[in-house]
Amino acid sequence: MPASVGGMNGWVDIARGLVSRDIFVNDEICRMEFERIFDRTWTFLAHETEISRPGDYLSRTLGSAPVIVVREADGAVHALLNSCRHRGARVCRADSGNARNFVCPYHGWTYERSGRLVTTTFDRHLPKDFDFSSQGLARVPRLEAYKGLIFGSWNAEVAPLAEYLGDIAWYIDPFLARTHQGMQVLAPPHRWRAKCNWKIGALNFVGDSQHILTTHVGPLTLDPVRAARAGFATAAENSFQVVTDQGHGCTLTYLAPGLPEEAYQTHPPDLEPLYAERLPADQLQLLKRLRVIVGTIFPNLSFIETQVGPAQKAVIMRQWQPVSGTEMEILSWVLAEKEASADYKEQVLRKGFHNFGAAGVFEQDDLELWASATYASNNPVAKQFPYSFHTALPYINSPEKDHKWPGRAFKPADTEVAQLEFMRQWDRCMTASG
Amino acid sequence: MGSLHDRQWLTAGRNMTATELRAVDDPTYLEIQRFLFRETALLDRRDYGGWLALTTQDIRYRVSAMVARDAGAEPVDYAIVDEDQVGLKSRIDQISNPRLTRAENPPSMTRRVVSNIEAYDGESAGQFLVKSYLLAFRSRSSAPEGGFYVAERWDVLRRTAGGWRLAKRDVHLDHVMLFDGALSTLL
Repeated sequence: MPASVGGMNGWVDIARGLVSRDIFVNDEICRMEFERIFDRTWTFLAHETEISRPGDYLSRTLGSAPVIVVREADGAVHALLNSCRHRGARVCRADSGNARNFVCPYHGWTYERSGRLVTTTFDRHLPKDFDFSSQGLARVPRLEAYKGLIFGSWNAEVAPLAEYLGDIAWYIDPFLARTHQGMQVLAPPHRWRAKCNWKIGALNFVGDSQHILTTHVGPLTLDPVRAARAGFATAAENSFQVVTDQGHGCTLTYLAPGLPEEAYQTHPPDLEPLYAERLPADQLQLLKRLRVIVGTIFPNLSFIETQVGPAQKAVIMRQWQPVSGTEMEILSWVLAEKEASADYKEQVLRKGFHNFGAAGVFEQDDLELWASATYASNNPVAKQFPYSFHTALPYINSPEKDHKWPGRAFKPADTEVAQLEFMRQWDRCMTASG
Repeated sequence: MGSLHDRQWLTAGRNMTATELRAVDDPTYLEIQRFLFRETALLDRRDYGGWLALTTQDIRYRVSAMVARDAGAEPVDYAIVDEDQVGLKSRIDQISNPRLTRAENPPSMTRRVVSNIEAYDGESAGQFLVKSYLLAFRSRSSAPEGGFYVAERWDVLRRTAGGWRLAKRDVHLDHVMLFDGALSTLL
């Protein structure tokens, strides 16, 4: 159990609104996170459109381990431990490709896309009772998809994905499944490393409206439609945060009342009718006058759709993959409706990574400050002073009573309730017995 | 002139073989080299306004990184920056105004080394295709040890009445994984 420090109990002290700094820098705690969170829960692996043809594969990370995600001839998807059963070499060393089967480059063990071992190339020397069927690439025991998002888990006993997503699914539907054909990934994900703890990213996306006007003063000031001054009405009456029982959360920021809607056109006119065909009325209502939705699916998949600048709506997905206590690898995808025109997709892609990605104008300022927080917290002196989540406290026990949609909603949108609830779930996973 | 969506045009130079390209004469080569060194110095001094003045109105500025693929498989890259003049100016307005940037205030210390310059006649008179190698060191207060961006650049330069101008820059980073936060400077 964590020691008491700075007048708080444990790592996460909900009652006092305090969270240990140590958990944002400590390599040993990061190792425990792999065991107690990442290798136990569902985590995101890939979007189905990244492997659209038979044989398409991706090298990704699931929890602590490298995996291959591959599409079978019949359309099925497999996820396999990317480490040869013979002597452990990475069977796939490319980020992506197309393969009929997988041949380990070390000694030639050859596997089908399903992971089944076909030959060791020295089969003639094997004992007679060698069991090929038990020597395939280890399969990820649980693999399920939700609206194009493929998730995996190393925990065979994990609850079904739909149950795990719970109420957050209702909020991601209007973004990932608002047309009949759904969304597609427009380009390979940006992939880069940053010297900060993965939870800073997850917290930033689950509900950190307080950083927007200070961290992002640049792009908001330069935004031709003056979003900073008018559109970002986080305190507007209809903006709110949502938290779910699994620690997932999101923040929905709406256009302030009285502003002309046409100046903030958020959806291309040819796509809007498709949303009406696909979505039930209340989920369609969610999209109306929405400026930003940003959220995190516990532990490390985040998403954002934002109307900043000229009218292009990209859905950005984001994974914060821990490398150590003080470093993470980020993957960032841009998505658009499959039905959209090629021109629109190109615009959305460019606008998407103009804002968010390995050189994004929002991203560059976020990452600078996240790295500085990680750097400045990683010493025994700073660790005596827990992080403050105090603005959650007046609100965290008062969800909106008349909230008509799933999850618990909290107003106003610019408090730290969703962040503290994320930390509550983190703490639950980390301190659970067994 | 290539349109915004014309990938062929963007990567034209890189896919051409040496026999399809005609090298410029030595005086032109020296002028081009002098121009590249001048615009590089402006970037290292963070005189972004001065640098932007050396670009054409139809500037296209793109930076891409590579996906690691098996030898023989179709190469795949992905853009991390892809701007026209409006987008480029907006980036520059952000990083050159200390009140509007966190990543570049305090500013990154940078040093760009440009070498291996090859210059060829372009698609039309007065237009030139220029390849160069770039080694750009960047050090910031949050990452004082610094790091290198390494790239091959394909530029389109134009000789105009006002002097040499950059009409296109296509920066192919030799990185499958970028490092150290997000790229907040120009290459």
